[in-house]
Amino acid sequence: MNAVMTIARKELRDAVASGWLVVFAATFAVVAMILSHVQADSGGIGEQGFNRTTAGLINLCLLLVPLLALVLGAGAIAGERDRGTLATLLSQPVTPVQVLIGKYIGLTLAVWGAIAAGFGIAGLFMMLFSPLSDIGHYLLFVVLSGVLASAMLSLGILVSVFAGSRVKALGLAVVLWFVLVLAYDLGAIGFALAVSPSGRTLVAVALLNPAEATRLLAIMSIERDLDVLGPLGAYLTDRMGTGVSRSLLLTAILAWTAAPLAIAARGFSRQDV
Amino acid sequence: MLTATNVTKRYGKTTVLDGASLSIAPGSVTAVIGANGAGKSTLIKSVIGLIRFEGSITINGADVAKEPKRAREMVGYVPQDPAFHSDLTVGETARFYATLRRLPAERAHAAVETAGLAGHVGKKAGALSGGMRQRLALAIAQLSDPPVLVLDEPAAGLDVSARLDLRRLVSEQRAAGKAILLSTHWLEDVPYVADHALVLDQGKTVYSGPATGLAASGAAGSKLFLRLNGHSPEAVTLLERMPMAGAIARTGDWVVVNCAATDKAHVVEALVAAGIGILDFRVEEASVDAAVMHLQSVRGGLS
Repeated sequence: MNAVMTIARKELRDAVASGWLVVFAATFAVVAMILSHVQADSGGIGEQGFNRTTAGLINLCLLLVPLLALVLGAGAIAGERDRGTLATLLSQPVTPVQVLIGKYIGLTLAVWGAIAAGFGIAGLFMMLFSPLSDIGHYLLFVVLSGVLASAMLSLGILVSVFAGSRVKALGLAVVLWFVLVLAYDLGAIGFALAVSPSGRTLVAVALLNPAEATRLLAIMSIERDLDVLGPLGAYLTDRMGTGVSRSLLLTAILAWTAAPLAIAARGFSRQDV
Repeated sequence: MLTATNVTKRYGKTTVLDGASLSIAPGSVTAVIGANGAGKSTLIKSVIGLIRFEGSITINGADVAKEPKRAREMVGYVPQDPAFHSDLTVGETARFYATLRRLPAERAHAAVETAGLAGHVGKKAGALSGGMRQRLALAIAQLSDPPVLVLDEPAAGLDVSARLDLRRLVSEQRAAGKAILLSTHWLEDVPYVADHALVLDQGKTVYSGPATGLAASGAAGSKLFLRLNGHSPEAVTLLERMPMAGAIARTGDWVVVNCAATDKAHVVEALVAAGIGILDFRVEEASVDAAVMHLQSVRGGLS
């Protein structure tokens, strides 16, 4: 087994042992059960009910997955540095880039596992109330959540490399989560609308935030009509076309995965331990 | 073979290591000596490639700055305060590092046994005492039987018995042909464990040469306080004839003898052989600061 996979396996083991992932999966499953139950009580059964519950889960995902991924990523390097284990690790015949990639792979697998478990338990419960006809959308949301998690982990690891300590890294990760997930709509999109209220500007603003790009992709897959998104929806469907829009949004999320990781790897390689 | 040439480390305008050079052949030990902040750990971390530096360091031909991974394959490193993942057991820790070095699990098991930790294989690394962590670090450093060992303050925090064990281990590894670099602020250990010494003060080299030369210079001197059985005048007369004894003084019942750290036992032997009983004694070893000041004054006198 090479060094990257050895470190990845260790990171996966640590993440599972930490209990965070179990808490995430359990929270996700419980909320999904409540959503399904409410949906069933309100008479929303069948394909539509499955979709509505799924849409509720996506909102939950957009809230929880970035937080989980950013926090786990932020602890990856800063935690080793604080505990003093980084020097022992890097005194072995491994490069800083191998350590970083190994940790990223391990954490990604861990978060994907938690997402799969959360969606899996929730899906099983939802099937009690709805038919299996829309399982495709459901699986798509699982994949989108995984892609979002990968991008947020990458950002978390970037924070971890450059933050002075684990506490600072975790603090920065929470601030980042607040900005990207909670404040973005009010802040960046509001600012863009005030300065240049065009669909093009709104698309550009969405591409600058992986959580926003994921939200748009999810909405595009669930809604036939994007009027709900206002001028942004019109621009995405009429001017760009659904296919191009989806490709662009997905590319943006993948870029948000690759770029922070590349910057983190470069920075980590040049740091003193 | 470990060679460091003109190694310098700066943080902004502050130079913490200024042109340190050393060369360690297989089967020899070099001790880096200095007070806290002298630059010992900076030099050691440079050798391991944990920090970037100016100058050149090669390990068996591998340039640490250009090929750090290849260089580290040939080095076993024990940090000043070894830290391990607290949730892993001793056995899991050794296996983890063995896997990183592409070694079989049996090697990890053997290293743990050799380090005397066989009875603690299932113990969490986070529950180990300082001495046990040190032993685990030594086990990990020797997993791949590397030709070079780098030990950062290995004696720090060890009791007398553990320090003697460490001396024995260093001696065994030297006999096995390893090139060993160790840092210490225990001056009295140096003549016993090292062939060469490099004394640093605020990043600058104040002595580089044979460890015996360091002792001979008087820098690594000891003060021996002896309470004798009513034979102080005879003892002083005897000691004054001994070339190894330096300044001699009498303070009440006590005779105070200055001598090299390695000559303490000879002084005591000579007194006992002359029939002078020793009721009590204590030893005051020279501090690193005092040694550095001594070396600087010698250098100043020569220049």
